Amino acid sequence: MTDTEQFPVRVEQPDRNGGNIFSRVFDELTAFCRSRSLFILHYCTGCGAIELPPAMTSRFDMERLGISPMVSPRQADILLITGYVSVKTLKRVMLTYEQMGSPKYVIGICSCTVNGGMYWQSYATAKKLNDYMPVDLYIAGCMPRPEAVITGLRQLMDKIAAGEANGWEDYYRRYDYYLGHQQRLFGETWQTPTDVIAEARHYGLFGPETLGDHTRLLEQHQAPLEALEMQLGLGAPDEVKA
Amino acid sequence: MRAENYEARNHPPSNEFEINFGPNHPGIEGNYALKVKVHGDEIVAARADGGYLHRGFEKLMEQRLWIQNIALVPRICVPDPAPMEVAYSMAVEQLCGLEVPQRAQWLRVLLLELSRLAAHLFTFGGHAATTGMYTPMFWGVADRDLLLDLFEELTGGRVYSIYNIPGGVRRDIPDDFLTRLSDTLDYIDSRLPDYDNLLFTNQVFVRRARDAGPVSQAQALDWGVTGPNLRATGLAFDVRRDDPYLVYDELEFDIPTEQPGDAWARTLVRRGELLQSIRILRQVIDRLPDIGGPIRAPIPNPLAWNVPAGEAYVRIESSKGELSWYVVSDGGDKPYRVHIRGPSSMHAVQVLEHLVTGCRIEDVAQIMFSLDACPPEVDR
Amino acid sequence: MNDAHLPVERLSIILGEVKEVRVTQKGPRRTRLDVAADALPALLELLKGRAGFVHLSAISCVDWPDDAQFELVYHLWSYELNLLVSAHTRIDRDPGVYVSVYDIYHPAGFFERDIHEMYGVFFEGAPDMEKFILTEWDGPPPMRKEFDSEGWVNDHFDWQDYRPDWLLELEAQGGGVMIPPDEQRFSRRGIEDNDDAG
Ligand code: SF4
Repeated sequence: MTDTEQFPVRVEQPDRNGGNIFSRVFDELTAFCRSRSLFILHYCTGCGAIELPPAMTSRFDMERLGISPMVSPRQADILLITGYVSVKTLKRVMLTYEQMGSPKYVIGICSCTVNGGMYWQSYATAKKLNDYMPVDLYIAGCMPRPEAVITGLRQLMDKIAAGEANGWEDYYRRYDYYLGHQQRLFGETWQTPTDVIAEARHYGLFGPETLGDHTRLLEQHQAPLEALEMQLGLGAPDEVKA
Repeated sequence: MRAENYEARNHPPSNEFEINFGPNHPGIEGNYALKVKVHGDEIVAARADGGYLHRGFEKLMEQRLWIQNIALVPRICVPDPAPMEVAYSMAVEQLCGLEVPQRAQWLRVLLLELSRLAAHLFTFGGHAATTGMYTPMFWGVADRDLLLDLFEELTGGRVYSIYNIPGGVRRDIPDDFLTRLSDTLDYIDSRLPDYDNLLFTNQVFVRRARDAGPVSQAQALDWGVTGPNLRATGLAFDVRRDDPYLVYDELEFDIPTEQPGDAWARTLVRRGELLQSIRILRQVIDRLPDIGGPIRAPIPNPLAWNVPAGEAYVRIESSKGELSWYVVSDGGDKPYRVHIRGPSSMHAVQVLEHLVTGCRIEDVAQIMFSLDACPPEVDR
Repeated sequence: MNDAHLPVERLSIILGEVKEVRVTQKGPRRTRLDVAADALPALLELLKGRAGFVHLSAISCVDWPDDAQFELVYHLWSYELNLLVSAHTRIDRDPGVYVSVYDIYHPAGFFERDIHEMYGVFFEGAPDMEKFILTEWDGPPPMRKEFDSEGWVNDHFDWQDYRPDWLLELEAQGGGVMIPPDEQRFSRRGIEDNDDAG
């Protein structure tokens, strides 16, 4: 799975204070352009999602900021976690997050992503989103109004333009930390199809905390990926069709 | 439609595959999944997979005080939260034998019907979008926002109003609220011809929606279909009329029905209900000023409120169908057991599985939206 | 509805034919029936066949650990009589097995599946007892009274840090949060002391 390392890649490590002036200008231009064309992954995880349609449609119209929904995680820039994530959803969210291409940004909308919100007592929802993935921005509120969502997105745009929204780098640098929390919740055998460690090497973001106890545990359990079996039989339960 | 003599087993398996329709899929309503097995582009088996929005409401409510739960309940159905509050409050009132003042009952009707309007506008938009028409979605959501402004003015919350408490409602209407409400209703009325042009008489939509996911009346009764989906099969049943609660027996409204029970009929029934809701709201506007009195009955100290032991079963007509709450108290300060029967728990699981089997893949999203299935209500 | 009898009376005539059912009138349209577990399916069949109770509104399960019993409540609605009947029955908590009424009411499929995963009651003859909501849950059935949700949460999650450095800085300047959330949650008071592991 490590043959990605063979590809040459230009690692973008903007050196803000020094370096070649042309590359600095170029980096800033890239960051500016990135911040003006953002695609939000169309995945509604919780009840905060009900304020997204108003924010996207005629009244508040997010598209004027260059933000529009995108259906595939491969092409999306922003993973918007709109509200509580149940454990079952969190697994899908993790898979989705790892599938997204870098640079990618995570916004936690709603109090539920910050600390569990009003479901702090519930056995079914995850409490602190930034234990499982790096979150660039939280928009608190139950639920945040469309204005708040748009303000949050503008702040993210500013952060991107300033080169500060680099939570995704943190995921590679401290993969062991995030993986540890995922394993605590999903069980020791938790494994995703993405080889994050190889990607970290590929992007040149391999750090001292990328590997650790939890990644060792992952290696022990890691099974090669196989095609999923068909699960649905042909005999659909249609005997009740009167 | 699957042919009479169709036998999927006879076909070569190379064009049979399985698709995970959701949870991360633009055609699915909310966070919900449908695993479908397709043969070509025709679905031969389907299985609903829920639980992505599970929060353990019923457990949570057992851990909180009766009054704390008020903040919790609207979250159960996100697009149409008001019926949840009203139903829970009614259940607690039944347990305590609280008499709700007239004015509070009228205000509740006002809230319920506003919420129904908002939910239906949202559904039209969603349904249209699944057939590739985005303009009705943009309009529907924008028009719904006008109603949300009214909610905000009345209750302080755009979506989750937390307006009802056991015993009555939290506050009275602001000054001139009824005038603004009446203006908004006029505006929505005046928009209907536009919607008709764009959606309800649009051949693109009509031809897509006709014959999609048909349910006969016998099947509907058999599967426990309720609400607009049941009325689309020709049975005029509405909890508001046949098992009246609040002051619905003093209000005049019709029950729109349609015949064939397909996606098209379901949409038409909702359109009819939109008109009826406007009609009910107009009556409320006329009569509310004459109804004086308090807006809530006195309740004991809510932080030390022991509700007498007993049980209550409350049914309400929400915009999706029959919503019922079963609440049991053992005389303590917290509910002993709460069971929420959302209408979508029927529509989104068994009915949906049956309806999509045999249809083509592009109709799945449409059928789901035309049933107005609300996943958070299924998962709770 | 052109029957000469009032709906409630018609119902009581039908119920008169069944033995061992206790009828309580709870309201103009609400009737409560208490019936032994083995007589319930027959009663449902009778209600559906003779009184038009074709709509199974819900099946609710209530856990009574002190009696070591589960109470199952079948809420039925008749479109003809406009009446709601709640049939209550009790089954033993252990082993927690009952018969499915899917043959009589198809909606029961969903409710029985739900009760199975939430309470662990098994329904014999149900078409589908697979998990639906809790497919990725391996703890005990969560709705049982002995399952401690808050304890589980304390074991599996960390709480948000309510005293981060930047907030302390704000507080030094006279701002910040009045009462930190971990002190506000009165049901969590005391947990921290006797449950250090959490
Ligand atoms: S913060 Fe409120 S609106 Fe947002 S997901 Fe949580 S409960 Fe829903």
